[in-house]
Parts: sequence; structure tokens; C-alpha cells
Amino acid sequence: MSKILTQPAATVPRAAGPAWFRVNRVQERLLGYALIAPIALLIVALIAYPFLNAIWLSLTEKMVGYPAHFVGLKNYATLYESPRFRIVAWNSVVYTVGSISAKLVIGMVMAVALQKAVRGNQLLRGFLLLPWVIPTVVIALTWRWLLDLYRGLFNVGLHDLGIIGAGIHWLGNPDLAMLSVIMANVWRGFPFFGVSFLAAMQTVPQDLYDAASVDGASAWQQFWRVSLPSIKGVVAIVTLLSTIWTLNDFNIVYIMTRGGPGAATHIFATYSYELGIQSQRWGMAMAASMYSLPVIALLIVFVVRYLHREEPAS
Amino acid sequence: MSKAFRWILLSAGVLALALALQPASAADVKVTLWRLKTYIPPADKILDTSIQECGKKIGAEVTIQTYTFDDMWTRYTAAIESKTLPDVAELDAVGPARLANLGRLSDVSDLVGTVTKELGDLAQNAEGAVKFGGKFYAVPHYAIPLILFYRKDLLEKVGAQPPDTWEAINEISVKIKKAGLQDFPQGFPWNRTGDGYDPAMSLLWSYGAAWVDKSGKFIGIPKDKAVQAIKVVTPAYVTDKTAAFDYLSWSGSANNEAFMAGKIAFTPNGPSILFQEDSTKHPLRKDTAIKLMPKGPVGRNLALTFVMNWGIPVDGKQQKEARALVACLMSKEKFTTYMTGSFQQAVPLFKSLINHEYWNTRDGKVIAETVKLGRPVGWPGPTTPAAAEVVSSNVLTDMMTRVIVDKVTPEKAVEEADKRIKEIYDRLPIK
Repeated sequence: MSKILTQPAATVPRAAGPAWFRVNRVQERLLGYALIAPIALLIVALIAYPFLNAIWLSLTEKMVGYPAHFVGLKNYATLYESPRFRIVAWNSVVYTVGSISAKLVIGMVMAVALQKAVRGNQLLRGFLLLPWVIPTVVIALTWRWLLDLYRGLFNVGLHDLGIIGAGIHWLGNPDLAMLSVIMANVWRGFPFFGVSFLAAMQTVPQDLYDAASVDGASAWQQFWRVSLPSIKGVVAIVTLLSTIWTLNDFNIVYIMTRGGPGAATHIFATYSYELGIQSQRWGMAMAASMYSLPVIALLIVFVVRYLHREEPAS
Repeated sequence: MSKAFRWILLSAGVLALALALQPASAADVKVTLWRLKTYIPPADKILDTSIQECGKKIGAEVTIQTYTFDDMWTRYTAAIESKTLPDVAELDAVGPARLANLGRLSDVSDLVGTVTKELGDLAQNAEGAVKFGGKFYAVPHYAIPLILFYRKDLLEKVGAQPPDTWEAINEISVKIKKAGLQDFPQGFPWNRTGDGYDPAMSLLWSYGAAWVDKSGKFIGIPKDKAVQAIKVVTPAYVTDKTAAFDYLSWSGSANNEAFMAGKIAFTPNGPSILFQEDSTKHPLRKDTAIKLMPKGPVGRNLALTFVMNWGIPVDGKQQKEARALVACLMSKEKFTTYMTGSFQQAVPLFKSLINHEYWNTRDGKVIAETVKLGRPVGWPGPTTPAAAEVVSSNVLTDMMTRVIVDKVTPEKAVEEADKRIKEIYDRLPIK
């Protein structure tokens, strides 16, 4: 038995077939490489090269049209010392954390509310997906109009209801401008959370709820003790994905405020655009966008490790 | 080989040789042209028709691609790096300086000479944006001047004369607000749009706060003058409350909309508001008036930010045809057709046409005069890549919003702006 097990793999009879069809181990390996070559090339061309090139550019003094000169970490240091960039970094944190927290809560409420099979539920689920399928540009323009000082639905509505006298300066006041872009981002993104949570909740066995109910668990306890632990993997993945998308968001902020007033809503993406396209400073622009990379990398490591830890238990 | 086959082979060879040696036909010459899509669609249509007619005349097939002010530099940035600039490029006020400094524009001094023979001398103030080191790198096409729009009916109601200074605008705005005619009459948006940074330059220059000398070398912002300039425009937001914070977030067209909605009494804008009101028979047209932008203690140094120029990038393979095309478009006949169909938005920068009878109307005189008084970006020096970046980095409007939004003192805001501008000029030397 042990003899058979230690026999070189190449001598083990392979699948039957004509002689020309049979391949040895080397040929098999070559065939494997040949089969994955196209996708490997695509990954290198479309992901690895642009990514590594971006890192390289961030280490250079690169103006559009001029050759790049290696400057090491100078761009990163310059940005770190720049009060303007610190505002941008803080804004990015506020925008991301604010948006994700709200999307998480609203998405969870949406999932719990839609979990029960009631009449018209399917239609409502489809309707709630609308913000997710509308192009972001349309959403940003719509919110810009909704919040307009004079013609916006918010101000007109609040005024007509007698809640406010003069219009609220949603996009001109620094604090309200940040709140406004967060609101637009949340509106766009909460269905992704809701639908993902709902799909996960529907895989939880009914027996668990029945058992909890027999034990006298309230609706809240059923959610807290049964639903939430069962879907925490999905929660982690959805939150991670959405954090990455929000941290890299550009359209909503650029269209609604262009980073203003002043730099009150400038985030990594809009600031990189200003540096790279308007000021033609590619090296600095790449460095600005790279600042979010460690945060995203840490989040990915954290979630992947968490999911691996959860796997054996499940 | 049969005799017949030999004949067929010989005939085919002769035919192939003839095809290979024949001169290139008109259809073989393809010229690409990029132009700005303006807010005046009928004028764009006239220009496209002229481009195609000129293309036929010079025996070339012209492909036109358009961009707006917002996406212009996204397109040019990609094209500069990939060396795919078009044969003919309509560039904004800072484009010639940027591209010429990179060695990417052809010397078109001869072409400017051809154009001046027909349209008269190039206005002195337009030279700074297209002439570097004694050579022309672009042919000025037209300028869109920023003028002061105001509501004459509201001014009459509060017994005010049309304002000629920034202080007068403030005073009238307060009167309009106090009279309950409008909540926030003063629509000057100090933001990241042309309607923000163009007036910001005009304001500072009119207060003697330019930051370069006549050679274009950085000398620093005269702090006292800049502070004085900031102190005259920020009270509208901070103390008088005659301007709404929301105006700081306006897009390029929002002040047009606010003016036409009757919400503001003053705003800086190109003549497109007149076009919109005329073409829609707007009820406010009879109450809409225009004036030169305000003057300051050292005069009226208005920025010519929206100047469009024809450049011939060296990337283009059809240099000869590209020059012929620009010469044709700038011929008196073609340019006059475009100018007179532009609803007074395309103001010529060559002397014979800026004095054309077309401008001899009440509004036309103001628009033409604004261009005559205009200064190129980077004034009192020429337009340089550094001057271009001061505009594109929004340094000047950021200086205003630091005071309005972040509540820093005007002195500190000027110091910060001065530091940013110095860094730009240190980094972008003139080649």
C-alpha cells in the first residue's frame, strides 16, 4: 500500500484516451499555465500595472507633459504637513464614517421590515432598489436641486409647512454641506445594505426563531440573538465594500459642492482631481489618493481574518 | 503559364502600381479639431458649419469633437500624456501657455500675420496669452467677457444709480435687502467656477494687489492692498448678509438661473444671460441691464479669463491643412458670420472687428469695452504655466472663502494665499 502511495505521480496511469491525447505532468503543467495566461495577462494589464504605476507616480515629481523625477516620500510628507490636506483627510473620515453608519442602520431597518412576507412586499423591495440603480450623476444633480436655497423641495416644503422662515443654506454652510453630501450618499447606498442583509436573513433557519419564540424571546431579542449573529459575515463584507466605495467616491461630492464651500467637503477623490487634472500635478495627486490605501488594506485584512475565524464554527 | 494569365498578372501589377503612386485625394486628408461647446447653441452651429465649409475648401475631412469648460482639461491632460492632441485645438486662456511651455504647440506667428492682414492688429492685451519669447503659439479666436448684470428696476425702486465700484454694490445691496425686495441680492460666488475666479482676479488687480512684475516673476501679494480688497467683498456674506452662503456652492450656470428667477440683483456673468432672456422672451429682460465690472482704487483691471485661442499642436500630422483651416475660420467673412450669430458672446480680439457696427448697441458697447479693458491671466506679466495654476488651484477664491467660511482674518488668508502662490511659481519656472 505504501509502495503505491509513494509511487511517482507521473507513472500513475492517467485517464484513458488516444495516445496523442495523453499528457505527462510537465505538459499538464504547461497546459495549466497556458489556460490561465489570458486572465493573468488581463489582471496584470488592467489591475497590477495601473496600481503599481500609481504607486510609482506618487513617489515622483510628475507634472503633466513633463518627465517624472523620483522624489521618494516627498509628496507624502508635503501633503502631511499641508493644513489643507489635513482638512481633506478629516473630511474623508467624516464623510465615510457618517455615510456608512447611516447606511448600516437604515439598511438593517429595511431588511427587518421586509423580512416578513406580506402583501406587496416584492413590489416594495423592487421600489427600494431604485436609488441603487439610478446613475450616481443623476442622484447628485437631483439632490443638488432638492437642497437648492430657492427652488429646492426641502426648503420650499419646510417653508410651506411653516417649519422654517428663510431658506436653509444646505450647500453653502460648511457643516450642512457635509451633511448634505452624506445624505445623498446614504440615499444612494442604503438599498445595497438592505438587500444584502435581507438575503442573508432569509437563509437563517426558521427553527431558530421558533425555538427562541418558545423560550420567550421578544422580537428585539430574536433580532439581537438570532438574526444579527447569523448574518454578521455578510454585514462585515457589505460594510467593507461600501467603505471602499465611499472612501473613493467622487461624483456626489464633485457635482454637489465641488469640495466647497472653501474646502469644507473636499475629500480624497475630489482633491486628487483638483491636483491631478486642474493643477496638472500627477505625482502629488497620486500621493493624495494613496493616503486612503493603508486604511482600506487594514480593513480588508481585518475582515478577511474575521471571516476565516468564523468559517470553522459555521 | 498561359498567355492570358500573364496578361492578367501584368495588368494587376500595373493597376497596383498606379494606385500606390496616385496623389492623396481630399478624402485621405483627415483633420481633427477640438472646440469648446458654449452656452450659445446657435453660435456653435454656425461655427461647425464654417468648419466643414473650410474643410471642403482646403480639401480635408474635418472631424469635430467638443468639450465644455468643466471637462476641457480632463481631455487635454490625457491627450498631452498620450501625445494625441488634435490637429487644431481650441484652447482656453491658459492653454497656450501650458502647451507652449511643454513644446507642444507650433509657432503660428505667420498665421497671426495672415489674420491681422484681414482683421487688423491683434489687441495688445490679448498678446500676453498667446505670445511667448517673441513668437505666437496660438491665434486668438474670441473672448467671452464677464460683465456685471444688474436689475435696473430694483435700483430705481431704492433710488440708486448703476454701481461703478465694489463699495457701491454693497451699499445698493443693503438698500434692496432693507426695502424687502430681495433677501440676498448680491450674487458674487467666490467659488471654483469661472464666475468666481475671474471676478477675484479683477478685484485684486483693481486694488493693486497683483503678485507678479511685468516679466511675470513672482514678487508677492501686496498684503495691505489684498486685505483691502477682501474687506470690501466679504461683508456681503459675513456682516451685511446680502449674499447667501449657498451662492458659494453655485455651479457655472446657477447664478444665471438665480438672476432669471428674480432672486438676485447683481451677478458677474458672460452675455449668455442676455441670450437666454432674449430667446425665451423672459419677463425680466426689460429690467435686465449690464455694466462694466466694478473698478477699484487703481482703476479697472478686468481679467480676460475666457479667451479662446486656436492652437496647432505639434502632435498633429496635418500641420499644413490645420493652418489653412484656422486661416479660413479667421477670414473676415467666416469670423463675421460667427461673431454676429453669437448673441454678443464672441468678442473679437482683432481691431477691425471689435469696432464693427455690430457692437454699436447699448449692451454691445459695454461688452466690447470690457474686452478692451481686459488683462490676460498673469497680468501685469504674460500668461505663464504658474499663472495658469494659480487660477486652476483656486487660490484666490479659497482666500475669500477662508474669511467667509472658516472665519480667519483677511491678513491670515492673504498670507496663506501668498505662500501657496509662491510655491506654485517656485515649482513652475518658465522654459
